[in-house]
Amino acid sequence: MSGRRISPPRTLARGIPMTVWMLLLVVIPLGYTFVTSFFQVDGLQIAARPTLKNYALFFTDPMYPGILLKSMLISLAIAVIAILAGYPLAYMVSFRVSRGRQVLFMLSIIPLWVSYLVRIIAWRTILGNKGVINSALEAAGIIREPLSFLLYNRFAIAVTLTYICIPFVFIPVYTALEKIPRNLLEASSDLGAGELRTFTSVVLPLSLPGLVTGFIFAFIIALGDYIIPQQLGGTQGIMFGNLIWSQFGFAFNWPFGAALSFILLAITVTILRLTSRFGSTEGGFLGE
Amino acid sequence: MPSRAGTGDGPKARQGTPKPSFSPRARRARGHPFQSSEHMAEEHAIELQGVKKSWGDVVAVRGFDVQIRRGEFFSLLGPSGCGKTTTLRMIAGLEEPTDGRVLLEGRDVSRVPPYRRNVHTVFQDYALFPHMTVRKNIWFPLKMRGVSLAGAEERIQRVLRLVSMEGYERRLPQQLSGGQRQRVALARSLVDEPAALLLDEPLGALDFKLRGAMQKVLKDIQRNVGITFIYVTHDQTEALTMSDRIAVMRGGVVHQVGTPDEIYGRPATAFVASFIGEMNFLRGRLEAPEGTAARARVGGLEVRAGRSTVPPGTEGRDVLVCVRTERVRLNAQRHTDHEMDGTVRRIVYRGTDYEVTCSLEGQEMRAVVSAMDWDSTLSVGAPARLCFNGGDVTLFPGSEAGEIVQYTTEAV
Repeated sequence: MSGRRISPPRTLARGIPMTVWMLLLVVIPLGYTFVTSFFQVDGLQIAARPTLKNYALFFTDPMYPGILLKSMLISLAIAVIAILAGYPLAYMVSFRVSRGRQVLFMLSIIPLWVSYLVRIIAWRTILGNKGVINSALEAAGIIREPLSFLLYNRFAIAVTLTYICIPFVFIPVYTALEKIPRNLLEASSDLGAGELRTFTSVVLPLSLPGLVTGFIFAFIIALGDYIIPQQLGGTQGIMFGNLIWSQFGFAFNWPFGAALSFILLAITVTILRLTSRFGSTEGGFLGE
Repeated sequence: MPSRAGTGDGPKARQGTPKPSFSPRARRARGHPFQSSEHMAEEHAIELQGVKKSWGDVVAVRGFDVQIRRGEFFSLLGPSGCGKTTTLRMIAGLEEPTDGRVLLEGRDVSRVPPYRRNVHTVFQDYALFPHMTVRKNIWFPLKMRGVSLAGAEERIQRVLRLVSMEGYERRLPQQLSGGQRQRVALARSLVDEPAALLLDEPLGALDFKLRGAMQKVLKDIQRNVGITFIYVTHDQTEALTMSDRIAVMRGGVVHQVGTPDEIYGRPATAFVASFIGEMNFLRGRLEAPEGTAARARVGGLEVRAGRSTVPPGTEGRDVLVCVRTERVRLNAQRHTDHEMDGTVRRIVYRGTDYEVTCSLEGQEMRAVVSAMDWDSTLSVGAPARLCFNGGDVTLFPGSEAGEIVQYTTEAV
């Protein structure tokens, strides 16, 4: 083991950049936010007088937990749909295609290289009153009035966030599928399993870690987003991310915003803990 | 994965799975679910009729015809790339033959997918499902036939006992050694009693000692269970010691199908002669091609051969004069009908014996001398009398010289 021979001081030295990075960008800001969440606001000033008022406000006004719950449900739906769309795509690229596999892989992740805002505006162009869908339907004579349920509501948020999340599902699922030794599929077939049973008994369980990772990615991305609800959500489409953002942006109530952030963080971390434990017990077998 | 014991169609499944007993007699009496009972007695377990496989211009198997008896231990032997694994995969259904037919128990299965064929493959790297315990791995083929885990328990236990792996049910494959994984893979393939087991170099990944032990285990199991084994190997010793019959392949061509002693004692081609055992090849000129009266000239010496595969009418052409190294004696006391004077060039000590290479008429002839009979007057540069009987000599056409596998001292 070459790693063991390195003397302790040098090992420490190696860890310094990472430690500094984590301190500066993660630990200190989070710590600051956490402390702020127990402060109060005096006019437009943050007063360093400790209080639990911010957390109490969240739990006493039913609006806040309500929005959080709705956001979680939408995010859950988005994550599920992203899995339903991304998994078959990854499966196809990994198992069914031999020629042009690289091209398909690139096509699947290329959306990640396009600016986030550009993609949001693109969806507005697709879903809007004079957008691609409405114009096409009108031209075909199927509708007279543009369909108004397409944009500025939760539907638009869900569609766009799902689209944003698909590559984040695709990548871990594809990686997990690629790791499955192909002779396991042959063995399964050889032992009497048709294609469907090979999928349910061998492929799906072995790709579960990737699926769980993809699900977590999609769920967390959806839950934390505030730009898409703002741009495409209209009046009813407020999500928890918007709530946090507005406390920092308009309301100048940083302590309350910080408290909301920490509530979201606590939920996210809990979900991560639960699912990653699930994912790793299954995923441990893929180590070799 | 949660335990599924007791769920599913327990009672129905139990009814549908007769209690197996792993004896050949029981198997014969019970017959097989996949075979029609009318022509049970005659038909072969596996039959290949002109089976060919090619990928574009690359030909892997150039026409294979063979009939494999039920309960036979049949080996496909050859160097890597000879088409033996492709042949096995065509029997398994993992490859579709380009031409010809594969018959399982008299039924043409050439276009039948693997999961509808009543044969199982033991893969070289075992292909155990890493996310399933030993028990669930073995349950897998039964599960595919609708047997619940509870209903399969007895058969799982029996087959674990067969491969001496009782008590490992709850282990995961990664917690087992190579030899243990091998046994589990074997158990998994045997548990639903297929018509044949296809083994693709199953011992290739094991170390030398373990391989020897596993050879015995495999042979014993095959004898006890009475299932037809098709065994792919590049190891001639393995093939010779375990098989009822061997097909020797090279470059997609079947050179010879026969029992181990036929293959060893009466090789059909120079390739077979060189691939199996240790053979001396001397270049000579044919004098008489006829069967037992065949004669050839090696330099200034005349050699009579007990056997010849050279076609008549080729007198004067090049021939390969072949004699096994262990059939050549040095300075023998007993009379042999060929005695030739050579010079010792090389002596290699190999533990149980010495291999002595002598020069003879500008060529080389090797003799294997048992360490017990070692004659200490033999040394490099010393003269030696090479003695052998014409009955042990075979003539092959000189055109086969290119097929001779280069000799190496490596035993395995």
